[in-house]
Amino acid sequence: MGQYRPSAMRQQKSQTVPQEPNLVPIMNLFLTIIPMLLMMVAISQIALLALNFSQGDSGISSGQGGGGGKGGPATEKVEVHIFGVEYAQKNNTSLGMEIREPGEKPKNIPAINEYYDYVSLDTSLKEIRNRRGTLSDITVLAYPDVLYGDLMKTIDICKNNGFTQVHYTAPKVQYY
Amino acid sequence: MQIVDKIKSSDKSQRKVRRKFEDARGLSITSLLDELTIILVFLVKNISTEAVKISAEPDLTYPTTMTNDKLLEKAGTTPIKIFPDRVLVGTEALQYGSPADLVTDPKKREALFTYLKMEADDIVTHQKAETCLLVQADYSIPCNYITEIVRAATAAGYSYVYFATLQDNDWLKKYNVSSTH
Repeated sequence: MGQYRPSAMRQQKSQTVPQEPNLVPIMNLFLTIIPMLLMMVAISQIALLALNFSQGDSGISSGQGGGGGKGGPATEKVEVHIFGVEYAQKNNTSLGMEIREPGEKPKNIPAINEYYDYVSLDTSLKEIRNRRGTLSDITVLAYPDVLYGDLMKTIDICKNNGFTQVHYTAPKVQYY
Repeated sequence: MQIVDKIKSSDKSQRKVRRKFEDARGLSITSLLDELTIILVFLVKNISTEAVKISAEPDLTYPTTMTNDKLLEKAGTTPIKIFPDRVLVGTEALQYGSPADLVTDPKKREALFTYLKMEADDIVTHQKAETCLLVQADYSIPCNYITEIVRAATAAGYSYVYFATLQDNDWLKKYNVSSTH
């Protein structure tokens, strides 16, 4: 008499509803990581204005009308002087800016209602750009009490008008 | 015999109990998990260490500019944040003091120069990258403080100085001298 093995179907355990994986620990991890990453992400896009100091003749220098050259052939530079309130009071002049161009008379751009006239500065720089198409150097001289925001706006207008080599110069001052 | 049958039929173990309510099924959070995974991947992709360094400070009022220069790709950056009342130096945001210390205290100026020199040497030696100083200053900071920082940085060997601003391509068109900045 032959032996029969029990039916495979009969050996199976009763079918149950498949268990869902426990997602709670993963959820906890996500809820920790995501707020942390959200805090790190930069919401507002920051722009950058660059000054290059690696070429020797670009960057910062001191002294009245100082520029940068280091013995090489002198390049023609347009200068933009930003006068602060102190300078204007000391020298009995008006608050504002002045553009000094080689071979030209200095052009004064007075402030209006104590705010610098960037529109006129932009127009003047556009005229210079039209006259001197290849000129890329410009010096911005800011007096000590001029605000950082005004300096940035002036450099911005210079760069926007094609003056790629912006030199930042400060008048010589003694603090103590 | 009938009594025994009756007792058997009234046994509690054989009594069928009907539930009033069906079992509540567990909340399915799989779809939520999928969404969180997508957000996580997006955030991880968009966040870099450099972005952390130049993240906008809520306490600072940045000037607006039209131009936007790209940060050098291979650059070692040292951030310096100048608030109206304090200066924070380096990626660790070390407390330096007040901005006025930059022009009134020669020892503090020397300390800043020493720190920047150390950072610049580290960038050149270990990172083998260009040295960049990233100035994040408030709009209302007088230029002499900026000048002192730039002077110290260039003396310490920084090749590039970047100024952080907010980009607004139309600020000049919107600029009205009769109103405030």
